[in-house]
Amino acid sequence: MLSLLTRRLIRLAVVLAGVSVVTFAILHVSGDPVSLMMPEAPESDRVVLRQSMGFNDPLPVQFARFVHNIARGDFGQSFFHREPALPLVLERMPTTLLLTVLAMALSLGLAVPIGILSAIRRNSAFDHSATLVVFLGTSMPVFWTGIMLILLFAVQLRWLPVSGWDSWAALVLPAATLATFSTPLLLRIVRSSMLEVINLDYVRTARAKGVSEWLVICRHALTNAALPLVTVAGLQFGLLLGGAVITETVFAVPGVGRLIVNAIRQLDFPIVQAGVFLLALIVVLVNFAVDVLYIYLNPQIRVR
Amino acid sequence: MKRCAPLAAVVALLLLVAVPASVSAQAKDTLVVGLVSHAPTLDPHMHFERVGILVNINMFDSLLHRSTKLEFEPSLATSWKALSDTQWEFKIRKGVRFHNGEVMTPADVKYSFDRVIDPAKKSPQYGNIRAIKEVRVIDAETIHIITDKPFPLLLERLVFFPIVNKKHVEAVGDQAFGTTSPVGTGPWKFVEWKRDQLIRLEAFDQHWRGKPPFKHLIFRAIPETATQVAEIKTGGVDIIRNVSADIVPELKNHPQAYISSTPILRVHYVNMDMRSAPFDKKAARQAANYAIDKSTVIQKLMAGLGTQVSTVVQPLAFGFDPEVKPYPYDPKKAKDLLAQAGYPNGVDITLHSASVADRPSFEAMAQMLTEVGLRTTPRAWDPGPAWNKFFQGEGKATNGLYGTWGNYSVFDADAVLHPLYHTEQGGWIGKWYTRVEGLDRLIDEARSTVDQPKRKRLYSQIQQLIREEAPTIFQWTQYDTLGISKKVQYAARPDEWLWLYDAKPAAAR
Repeated sequence: MLSLLTRRLIRLAVVLAGVSVVTFAILHVSGDPVSLMMPEAPESDRVVLRQSMGFNDPLPVQFARFVHNIARGDFGQSFFHREPALPLVLERMPTTLLLTVLAMALSLGLAVPIGILSAIRRNSAFDHSATLVVFLGTSMPVFWTGIMLILLFAVQLRWLPVSGWDSWAALVLPAATLATFSTPLLLRIVRSSMLEVINLDYVRTARAKGVSEWLVICRHALTNAALPLVTVAGLQFGLLLGGAVITETVFAVPGVGRLIVNAIRQLDFPIVQAGVFLLALIVVLVNFAVDVLYIYLNPQIRVR
Repeated sequence: MKRCAPLAAVVALLLLVAVPASVSAQAKDTLVVGLVSHAPTLDPHMHFERVGILVNINMFDSLLHRSTKLEFEPSLATSWKALSDTQWEFKIRKGVRFHNGEVMTPADVKYSFDRVIDPAKKSPQYGNIRAIKEVRVIDAETIHIITDKPFPLLLERLVFFPIVNKKHVEAVGDQAFGTTSPVGTGPWKFVEWKRDQLIRLEAFDQHWRGKPPFKHLIFRAIPETATQVAEIKTGGVDIIRNVSADIVPELKNHPQAYISSTPILRVHYVNMDMRSAPFDKKAARQAANYAIDKSTVIQKLMAGLGTQVSTVVQPLAFGFDPEVKPYPYDPKKAKDLLAQAGYPNGVDITLHSASVADRPSFEAMAQMLTEVGLRTTPRAWDPGPAWNKFFQGEGKATNGLYGTWGNYSVFDADAVLHPLYHTEQGGWIGKWYTRVEGLDRLIDEARSTVDQPKRKRLYSQIQQLIREEAPTIFQWTQYDTLGISKKVQYAARPDEWLWLYDAKPAAAR
C-alpha cells in the first residue's frame, strides 16, 4: 500500500513538471510581452528591455532559469502588476476554492439523494423527471445558466444580488450555476451504480436478514456504489475549477480564473505560470485524495 | 430525511439575513461605477489601460485638464506657453495639497516626469513622452519642459499625466504606492482596493476645486456586459460604459436608467495589404471603398450610434479637413473599378478581425464586398496574443485587417496617421500594410513643427492623398454610450473620460 502511495506521489511530481514545461513552451512561442509593456516605444528601447528581462537568451537557458527559480518558490515578478506573481495568485485562490467546493457540495447534496431515489423507484414519474432535469442541466452552457439565474433571481424576483463576492447571498447564484454543470453527471453515476448493485446477492441477503430498507441502501448498496462516484467526483473537481473561470466572469467573482485569463491576454508570463502550476497542483492533489479514498473504500486494492 | 429540516432552516435564515443588506439600494452620497476590469496597479504612471486611467483621473490631477468641449483648461498648471519649438513654460498652481497633507511643489512635477522618462522604471507610458528631454524647476511656481525635437503633442500628453508626491512615493516605495497607498491631489482619496472586486474612494475635503458632490466613489470590476446591465437595472451600479447597440433601446426606456451617448475618438478601419494583389492596385482599393454601404451598417447594426468618416482622421481631432468627402456607396462604380484593376470576374480575398464586439459589421462588410466581386472570407480571431503577434507584430494579415483605433485619446491627426500608415521600423501596422508614395514624409513634416496653421495645411494634404490612394476601407467613428442610473446626473464625454467631479445626484422628484 505504501509503495502504491509512493508511486502516486511520483506521478504527481511528473504531472506538475509536465504542466510547467508545456505552459512555459506555449507562452514563449505565443508572443512578445515587451511590445505590450511598452506600446508606442521605439524598437531600440524595447531591445534594451528585452535584454534586461532575459528574453534574448536561448529558450533552454530561460527554461533552466525558470526551473531554478520555481524550485525556490519564486515565479518572478508580474510584468504588469509589478509585484511578485505567486502572492497575487495565492490571494485569489481561497475564493476560487470556496466557489468550487460549494458547487461540489451542492452537486453531491443533490445528486446522491436524487440518484438513489431514481434508482429505487426506477421508471417512476420521479425517475423520469430526474432524467429530464439531467438532460437540461448537461445541455445548458455555464455562462448561459448564470445569466438566466441572474435575470430570474436578481432582476425579476430581487431575492439575490446580481454579482459580487461581499455577502453570503452573493455566493448562492455562482455556486448554483457551477453546480448545474456538475450535478447531472454525478446524478447519472449514482443512479446507474446503485442500479448495478441493488439487485446483487449480498443486497438481497441483507434484505432477507430483515435489515431495514434505509440501512440496506445506505450501508450495503451505497458503499459499493460510491466507488465510481468518488472517481467521477474527483475528475469533476478539475472540470469545476475550469468552469469557475466562466462563473467568475459572469458573477464578477474575484478568483484565480479571471486573473489567469487576463494574464494570458497580456502575456504576463509569471502570473500564468504560477496560476496554472497551482491549479494543476490542486487537481493532482484532489486525485491523490481520491486514490487514498479508494483504498479505504475498496479493501481489494490494498491487497494488490 | 427529517434531519435535513434544521439545516434547511439555517440556510434559509442565513439568506434572509444576508440578502436585504446587499440588494438594498446604495446610499445617496455614493456613486458606483461598473468597469470591465481593474488596471493591474493604481500607480498612474505604471500602466496604460483605459480602465486604470478612468480611476486615476478621479484621484490624481495632471497639469492640464480638458473641458467637455475638448478645450485645454488649467489644472495643476495655471498657464503655459511655448518659449521656442523645443521649450515650454508652465506656471504651477499654488497651495494645492496632496491627500497626505503635503503641499504640491514644482519638485513634485519634475519627479513625476522623471519616473516615467527613466527607462529603468519600464513605464508603459514611456513611449508617450519620450520626446521630453528634461524638466527644469525654475522657481517656486515655474517649470520648463525641454523636448529633444519639436513636440506638438506635448499639451495633449499632459492632460493625462498625473502629478505624484515625491516625498510620499519615495517613502512608501513604488509597489506600495501602486497597491495600498496611492496619494494624489484629485477630488477623491484612496480608501481600499479589493482586487478584481472594488476600489473604494472618499471625497478629499481639501481638494483645490472644492469638495465633489458624491462623498463615496466605488469602482466595481464586472467583466460580463450582461451582468453590468443587470446591475444597473437593479440599482447595484450607477454608471456602466460601452453599452452595446442591442441593449440601448432596453435601457433607454427603463424606469431606473437612461442612456448618454456622444461621438468619440475611435475610428473603425480596414487596412488593406498593399504589398500583394489585389490591393496593390489603387482601383481595387477604391472599389472596396465604393462597395460599403456605411449608413446602412450604422443604422441597422450600430443603433445609429456612429458617424461616417471620409478618412481615418476624425472630426474631433486637430487637423480634420471637412472638405474631404467620404466615398459614397456605389456598387456599380465598384465593379467598374475592379474590372479596371484587372478583375472583371472578381477575386477571392481574406480579411481578418479580432474585434469581437464588431463582428456583425465585419460580416456585413464582407458580404457587401462579395457582392461587388471582392469575394471575401471573413476570419474572426480571438483578440489575444496570437492576434498581436501574427497580424500586428509580423504583418501576416493578407489581404487586410479590420480594427478600431482610439488615438490613445490624443485629439490630433498624428495619433492615428502615424500608427496606421507610417512605414518606419518602429512603426505600428503601417510598416506592414501601407505603401503610399510620399505619405511618410508628410507625416514626419507635420510632426516636426509646433506651428499649428502649417500642421493643419499638411494634414489637409494628407487627407486628400489618402482619400485618393485609399490604403484603408474608410468607415465610421464610434460613440461612447453610457448607461446611467436616474439617481445620477452625468453625460458621456467625447474623450471617454469618466470625470465624476461633474456627476451630481439627480434632483429629488
